[in-house]
Amino acid sequence: MKRALYTVIVFTRLNTRRFFRDRLAQFFAILFPLIFLFVFGSLSSGDSGNVSFHVALLDQSKTAFASKFTEQIKTSKTFKIDTSVTNLTTAQDKMSKSQIDGIIVLPSDFGVVKPGQAYPSGQAQILYNQSSSGTGQTLTSVLQGTFKQLNTQFVKTQPPFSVVGKQLNKKSLTSFDYTFSGLLGFSIIGLGVFGPVNVFPELKKQGILRRLHTTPLRVWQYFMATMFSQAATGAISIAIQFAVAIKLFHLKVDGNYLEIAIFTMLSIFMILGIGLAIGGWARNERQAAPLSNIIVFPMLFLSGTFFPRFLMPHWLQTITAYLPLTPVIDGLRLLTTEGKNLLQIGPQLGLIAIWFVVIYAIAFRVFKWE
Amino acid sequence: MTDAILKVKDLRKVYDDKAAVDGISFEVKKGEIFGILGPNGAGKTTTLEMIETMREIDGGTIILDGLNVAERPNAVKRIIGVQPQSPAFQDKTKLIEIIELFAAAYGEKVNAQSFLDEVDLGEKANSYAEQLSGGQRQRLSIATALVHRPKVFFMDEPTTGLDPQARRNLWDLTREVRDRGVTVLLTTHYMDEAEVLCDRVAIMDKGKIIALDTPKNLIKQLLKRGFKKEQQVEQANLEDVFIDMTGKGLHES
Repeated sequence: MKRALYTVIVFTRLNTRRFFRDRLAQFFAILFPLIFLFVFGSLSSGDSGNVSFHVALLDQSKTAFASKFTEQIKTSKTFKIDTSVTNLTTAQDKMSKSQIDGIIVLPSDFGVVKPGQAYPSGQAQILYNQSSSGTGQTLTSVLQGTFKQLNTQFVKTQPPFSVVGKQLNKKSLTSFDYTFSGLLGFSIIGLGVFGPVNVFPELKKQGILRRLHTTPLRVWQYFMATMFSQAATGAISIAIQFAVAIKLFHLKVDGNYLEIAIFTMLSIFMILGIGLAIGGWARNERQAAPLSNIIVFPMLFLSGTFFPRFLMPHWLQTITAYLPLTPVIDGLRLLTTEGKNLLQIGPQLGLIAIWFVVIYAIAFRVFKWE
Repeated sequence: MTDAILKVKDLRKVYDDKAAVDGISFEVKKGEIFGILGPNGAGKTTTLEMIETMREIDGGTIILDGLNVAERPNAVKRIIGVQPQSPAFQDKTKLIEIIELFAAAYGEKVNAQSFLDEVDLGEKANSYAEQLSGGQRQRLSIATALVHRPKVFFMDEPTTGLDPQARRNLWDLTREVRDRGVTVLLTTHYMDEAEVLCDRVAIMDKGKIIALDTPKNLIKQLLKRGFKKEQQVEQANLEDVFIDMTGKGLHES
């Protein structure tokens, strides 16, 4: 047994060394997931809590009040004024392309002090498209609130009813939290499935696996060495992603890093089984490539890699809960950002264990050395 | 024959109702270089692969060093070394690591450098396998097949595609392996190779062995049957010219 494990250790060591010499493998294991992290991270970090509207502001009034009001709106956090728009035609054109959410028009009589009145008055208009009526209505009521504050400066009244917003000290998940665990799942798939699926057919074509088969090397030794070396490269890749997410996208890790590492290793072992099964079964690339795409792509979309599963219809959520990648992504999110520990994610660990047994049972059965 | 290390009896292999190997029997003596000759498709490689435990045996028995190959493939693997037709190694792996890897496949730790020195690749220990020439790859492959001190060494058409210098070098290496007491079983379709290298040869055709003897005896028997070759006046051939002009040494960087 000791000799058999020595075999595994040497094979693991050489596999890992090979990775550090192979630029292409490094690109796919480390840089490729990082590119996705940058893209999806930038997309989802913009909407972290604060609502804002992109609007065009058309000031047709010449009054001092109107210019003062314009300045005030420009400094507001709620409104992002597109200053490049100066007339209604370009504003409508931009709105039809959804580049802005709405148009605020201050008509020519806005802010004029009417005869017999002590203070300025006027009516602003908000223009929005049919397709974004929700945004338009929200925009209207936000602006109404702004006016209400203004009004009390001119007319002192005490409204009988009012509402005040109060922030609870409870954190909810940001969309980046979902994105990040999904991207970790994506890189685990990349490592675990596409790694062996690309390498094994080539090794078979060159007769390298066949040559190894003339030695007493056993399938389990070969699998185990691949598992350990993939876990090592996976650990590096995922650690880098955590570092980038914390530094650049303000990821707050609530969980224990050791538990996250253990869970990540178990996930890589299980998902790698899919790659070993496909790569081990296929005689050549022509068999390996289509099969891996058929299995991997639906899983990527249905397990919550690129968008969270709670957006799916209920029946689809029920089915996709049992896919191998789903407990990986859910578990990573629960551990990383929801502050759970390994004991609390029993269902995820259980599902990973069941898939582990099923997948490796298949992988051992279908493995071919040539 | 009591000193036979390999005994093959009525060996059969059938592909789609066609017998690729059709009930052949032969024995290989300990410490000899035994060649299996024949045209492509004669069943040479299939025979070799069945002895190497790589193909299922459809009929007959193979006893290798007292082990029944069909029953104890793993024990057989520990006493054989295999040189494939076109050896290949994984990229980005140093020669010294490749030797370590193959030794580890047998659960053994060896002095990898000495194995590389034996096949004149000592200086290349830290090169990657993909930087080797065809002949060097063949030599590396021989080194990997000897890491566990096998009793029988199999070579499947070892010199196909090599230049004359590399071929001669490989013949020398094969003799060295034999001189260490390792029995060598090789297939080839080069008759000159069989003539200079093999102690005995079996000629196969259509799955059967049609002749088995030393090269010298086979030639003698042919001459006895009244065979006459067109008289050759030249005392040398084109290969002799080639070797004379380009030297016997290996041409490689």
